[in-house]
Amino acid sequence: MINKQSATNTAVHGPAFRKLRGYAFDPSLSLNTDTFFINNITYKVPWEDELQTGPVGEYVEVIDYDPTIEKYYTPVDLDAEYLLAEDGLDPDENNPQFHQQMVYAVAMTTIKNFENALGRLVQWSPRRLADRKEFEKYVRKLRIYPHALRDANAYYSPQKKALLFGYFASNPAKNTLHMPGSFVYTCLSHDIIAHETTHAILDGMYPHYSEPTNADVLAFHEAFADIVALFQHFTFPEVLKHQIAKTRGDLASQNLLGELAQEFGSAIGNYGSLRSALGKKDPITKKWVPNEPTGEEYATIMEPHNRGSILVSAVFDAFLTIYKNRVSDLLRLATNGTGVLPAGDLHPDLVNRLANEASKSASHVLNMCIRALDYCPPVDITFGDYLRAIITADTDIVVDDDRNYRVAFIEAFRRRGMYPHGIKTLSMSSLGFQKNRLSHGIAELFGSITAQLRNYSNNVIYEKDREEIYKQTKAFIAKSEFEDMTPGGLHSSFMASFDNSIEFEQLTGLVFNSDWSYYGVRTSKSYKDKALGPSFRIQDLRLVSRVGPENKQINQIVFSIIQRSGVIINKGKFAGHFIPPDDPVEYEKGKFDFYGGCTLIFDLDSLELKYAISKPLLDIAKLKEAMKSQIPTQIKEIRKIDTARAEAQYRYQHEEAPMHLSEYTQYFSGGMANFLNEPFSFLHQH
Amino acid sequence: MPNKITHAEVRMYRMGTGDCFAIKFFAGKGEANVKFKMMIDCGVWTGSKARLQPFIEDLKTYVNNEVDLLVVTHEHIDHVLGFERCSDLFTNDFDVKKIWMGWSEDDSLSKVSNWKTEHGQKKLALARAAERLKNSIQAGLENRLATEHKGNSIFNAKKGFSDSLNGFADLHIQSLNGVYVGLLEGMRVVKKEIANNNIEYKYPGEIVEDIDGLDGVKIYVLGPPEKWNIVETEGGGEGESYTHNTTLKEMDAFAASILSSAAGGNTATSPFDDHYSDLSTSQASGYTKEDWRTIDDDWLYSAGGLALRINSLTNNLSLALAIEFTDNKRVMLFPGDAEYGSWSSWHKINWSETPADSTKHLTEEILNKTVFYKVAHHMSHNGTAQRLGLNMMKHKDLVAMATLDYDNIGDKWSNTMPNHELIDELLTKTKGRLIIMKEDKIFYDFDNTEPLANKIIESRKKMTAAQKTAFDKAFEADPDGRWFQYTVRA
Repeated sequence: MINKQSATNTAVHGPAFRKLRGYAFDPSLSLNTDTFFINNITYKVPWEDELQTGPVGEYVEVIDYDPTIEKYYTPVDLDAEYLLAEDGLDPDENNPQFHQQMVYAVAMTTIKNFENALGRLVQWSPRRLADRKEFEKYVRKLRIYPHALRDANAYYSPQKKALLFGYFASNPAKNTLHMPGSFVYTCLSHDIIAHETTHAILDGMYPHYSEPTNADVLAFHEAFADIVALFQHFTFPEVLKHQIAKTRGDLASQNLLGELAQEFGSAIGNYGSLRSALGKKDPITKKWVPNEPTGEEYATIMEPHNRGSILVSAVFDAFLTIYKNRVSDLLRLATNGTGVLPAGDLHPDLVNRLANEASKSASHVLNMCIRALDYCPPVDITFGDYLRAIITADTDIVVDDDRNYRVAFIEAFRRRGMYPHGIKTLSMSSLGFQKNRLSHGIAELFGSITAQLRNYSNNVIYEKDREEIYKQTKAFIAKSEFEDMTPGGLHSSFMASFDNSIEFEQLTGLVFNSDWSYYGVRTSKSYKDKALGPSFRIQDLRLVSRVGPENKQINQIVFSIIQRSGVIINKGKFAGHFIPPDDPVEYEKGKFDFYGGCTLIFDLDSLELKYAISKPLLDIAKLKEAMKSQIPTQIKEIRKIDTARAEAQYRYQHEEAPMHLSEYTQYFSGGMANFLNEPFSFLHQH
Repeated sequence: MPNKITHAEVRMYRMGTGDCFAIKFFAGKGEANVKFKMMIDCGVWTGSKARLQPFIEDLKTYVNNEVDLLVVTHEHIDHVLGFERCSDLFTNDFDVKKIWMGWSEDDSLSKVSNWKTEHGQKKLALARAAERLKNSIQAGLENRLATEHKGNSIFNAKKGFSDSLNGFADLHIQSLNGVYVGLLEGMRVVKKEIANNNIEYKYPGEIVEDIDGLDGVKIYVLGPPEKWNIVETEGGGEGESYTHNTTLKEMDAFAASILSSAAGGNTATSPFDDHYSDLSTSQASGYTKEDWRTIDDDWLYSAGGLALRINSLTNNLSLALAIEFTDNKRVMLFPGDAEYGSWSSWHKINWSETPADSTKHLTEEILNKTVFYKVAHHMSHNGTAQRLGLNMMKHKDLVAMATLDYDNIGDKWSNTMPNHELIDELLTKTKGRLIIMKEDKIFYDFDNTEPLANKIIESRKKMTAAQKTAFDKAFEADPDGRWFQYTVRA
């Protein structure tokens, strides 16, 4: 341990960063003279004062136990003087302590990127318990096992809140990159670590995204993790500089970046497979050419992995458009407007500028993609929902889209046939979620909720301890946020305020009327004064403060409400409800859990509900009709379940998914309705 | 007296999921004109001797206690269990004049024996991992998960994984009272007890003619492929069949660790030098302090990938035969359980004959002329190649037989068998002349509302009246339910 406050330097503050050396890609590229220079970079991770050996810090604990040989490896002490002086250990495949340093550096870099984009601290998903009184437990640190498996796989375990990395004997098919028979470590690949960390962060926000309720859900998890890994890479300008300088080719064409993106992922295992959709090397010219989308992709490609690659390629397409726009002036300058570069090496200034523009574009795209998460529905996400989230989130913070980022995204999605469900035209205004027009009565009700939210915000805004934030939030919601639990808090106010409000039901798509059992919703005893009401859950309540490029500041409270309904399907058609038990061991044929949910975004400055982004349990169109015609509330006639969505989920889980599942999943999983045994391990195996 | 073969009776024994065929070749009508008797495999997923005996006895009666040729396609329990359970029935009062196996069964070749040792280690590792996982699940996992949300469901999913894995182990590995003893007993019985220096090992590209009794018949050997790397190819990518992202080679480190820990030590190669090991207890307490997060047995689940790789590899070692009636080139195709890697290799065989249509590869012509197809691998997706297989079977008389029985099948195999797209293709191409060992409990749709049997009846309406009459005449079912039989005209 170093003496952090030496006598002669009493005024010195802790450093902002801890510099740690590591691979930019993975070790195989260090053996290649072309890539050697760019492969070793220095990660700058936020300085942690209390970092223990392991490393064990505020967010992650690296535990280097290898169960396959029942061995522990000595944990690295990154505060050791020599290591501080040298920016950590030298990259070395044969030193497990370097492996520990590498996973720590990349995981922390990823976490930092999320916190910057989201405007709040990252929280892991809590550990859910069988005991309904205790309900869940806070998890402060994500566990990282760098040597957990002997397999060409790595995954995030939602049950253990841990990342498990594998290693394996290299495949002789890649003799040129790996020595045959030598070990390849997934924990040394930037992309794999970033990818798995992203799964964990996303699970912390939306635990329901690991449930395959439609063809997009698992694909989204996988694609999003890959997008983060990919663009995080592009934010390191030193990596790009070398490649740009090396290429004497056509700089205006974006192929260089596409090829690089693919190379980033190709070295180890399957992690680059999502990027194979970007393009390929022409077998004759040996030149990389991008794949032209046909527009049929979204409608025809169903296997989660391949489907994820559509989303990755769409976002990458948008990125290239943005980059191209940003460098067009530079290229005109460099070529005197001819578009033809003079012979000889590129001017280093030009290289720097191009690399910086690429890095800046990447970081903007990364931010847009991460920010959009706050605008997603809490269950059953589709790529179309995600596009709408990207557009809305960006419109909120960047008023003037003078560089046409949003158009670039819409264009890229459209070219792959990805259209959001239920919008009339593909314009900016219809794509963005609309601010809700509320009747006076309900606006007032929301006003009182928002006032409570502002109180909450005042309490937690200066709180920096993540566990304390979690506890205060939990107390604010109910001291307990679920059915059958202690009454009070936001949870109770919801029912008190919106009981039988058809407008609120139309807004959220959830059941808030006195006939909840009829809709297959469980009874909650957690309301004030032991009143009974429909069960629902408030998830991931968070305070969001972000600042945009024009110094526009956003202060919002975001949370999701989730409700479960037991639905019976017979011969493909909705046939009624049942009350779902807490943990059904196995449902009879035709029964399943149907989740609805709604993400509510409140503006703290104007004290109003800004957006309600819903995956309804109820048929919204019918509710709207009823509201228009002002019929007195004959509950069961007006409120019908959203049978189309329920039937679609059942059809997907029982008919469509089995057609497209990997053989591995078919032989070894518990099926789509029980995807609980390490879902991310299955996702990576095919 | 004419000797040219006029027709063949193909009899599928209905013992349960698995292959057992007897084929009689006739030159003219009546038993007196039987010229050649052939048997292909004798296996089933599970079955006691008492249950299997009536089938084998029926077979023996049918072929009059003697076959001219026994073909054993590959070493999987569902192709050889009958030889094990009823070994005495095959070794007594039963005459096998010749046996054919794939070249990869020729233990006298050093490349085969070397590979078998290596491959045997992988199979052993699979068995050990399956055993360990089963023990780990029995040793209180249910209690440990009881405190977790949805712990029951998680436990069920894990147990299902283990059951399926153990099924794969049983498919490949002979164990006696839980101890691995080597190659499958059924295979040993064939090689050591039934064979009498009369095994021929077949290579792809061989064309066997002039077989005594088989006048007007040629047999083309399609598989197993001659190169290991092709044998190891399971899937063909988009539009071909499934793809996989790991290779068997990549499971080397896994196998090494499983085997060494089963041998009582932890001598498996540690990837790092000893001085990095931490012998203090400080790390251990950090690891175990939250026991719900420990990962002692999680790595065993990697055996799933190993199981699939070994399974496909063994399937690809199937001896695949095309039996052609030379006059009209009509073909009966018996591919064993060949998967995509084998199917695609058939199209690269350097045949000594050229096809009638010189723009085609001979293999394509063989598939074009196929009128009887024994569906590979019980109608799984990988079992029948699309572009290089079924799409090329264009004959209007095509009939298919599939050895699938839901009452006797491995855990979760019914998830992949039958493959629904394959069923659709087969029903269209055969106009419903798809003969399944047992249709009960198999449904055409995923919702289990439309029995496959109904769909087959519906598809058969597409046959012309003449086709229907011909099919009804050619098809026969044993009144006691032991077999289905279809007569293929030359």
